[in-house]
Amino acid sequence: MLHIRCPHCGMRSQNEFAYGGDASVKRPELNKEISDLEWDNFVYLRKSLRGKHLELWQHISGCRQWFKVQRDTSTHEIFKTIKANEDI
Amino acid sequence: MTTISALEGVHIKGLFGDYVGKNEKNLLSLSENKDLLIIQIVKYKNSLTSIASIQIDNLNLENETLNVSCNNDTRILWNGPNSWLLISTKKKLLKEIIEKFDENNFAVTNLSHSRAIIELEGENVKEVLKKGCPYNFNDLNKNNCLNSTFNGMSVTIDLLDNNPNKARILTLRSFGESLYHSITDSCLEFGYKSI
Repeated sequence: MLHIRCPHCGMRSQNEFAYGGDASVKRPELNKEISDLEWDNFVYLRKSLRGKHLELWQHISGCRQWFKVQRDTSTHEIFKTIKANEDI
Repeated sequence: MTTISALEGVHIKGLFGDYVGKNEKNLLSLSENKDLLIIQIVKYKNSLTSIASIQIDNLNLENETLNVSCNNDTRILWNGPNSWLLISTKKKLLKEIIEKFDENNFAVTNLSHSRAIIELEGENVKEVLKKGCPYNFNDLNKNNCLNSTFNGMSVTIDLLDNNPNKARILTLRSFGESLYHSITDSCLEFGYKSI
């Protein structure tokens, strides 16, 4: 079982969290003209990294807040957790 | 009008589990809490208003993890950043809450009828909770609260006292029966008195 440090609540069990996908994906700017390919890439195209990965998680059974986790996908080591509006 | 409690027909009074030969005073006691005012207060993300000057029943809203602001009648549980759960025996507080938390800055939701509440008291309360909840209860002190899961069900646990331990476990009303059976199963090992 993983233990994840929620930036708001502290160290908690993985059972309380839900994975929310890649946190490095940036949504295209509002009102900007984009091609179907760019939109398709934003919605579907994801890297499948082996190593350090920035992820979104939600503390769904706790404070219900979204936050970012920097995790190694091969060892599951968690390096850092930060609030959703912060950058590493 | 009489309200139908969340555990009506489920909560059975008596002695259960491994109680034989034990002093009744040392057994866990389990009861249902009902007729409480439960209000969720959420400050909107873009609100610039300060919560420091707002008091309900002479209690401040603290934005601090695990924190419970309390007096004899009312407890204000920290639920998350800018989110609190107020639990009180004073039903008339509702009017005061609506007046003090303006709808432009706060979402106030009355959850009084949507929660099942089980109260556990005794030396082994934390041992019972550890069976279904992954939180490290050795770190939980009096007047601390947390949101977590108990056998997969989302719960709010409020530690009212620590001598002996006394905890209030809140869950969605629809989970009430399942939670009751989970909790009572966990209590069997120690023996419990259902009151």
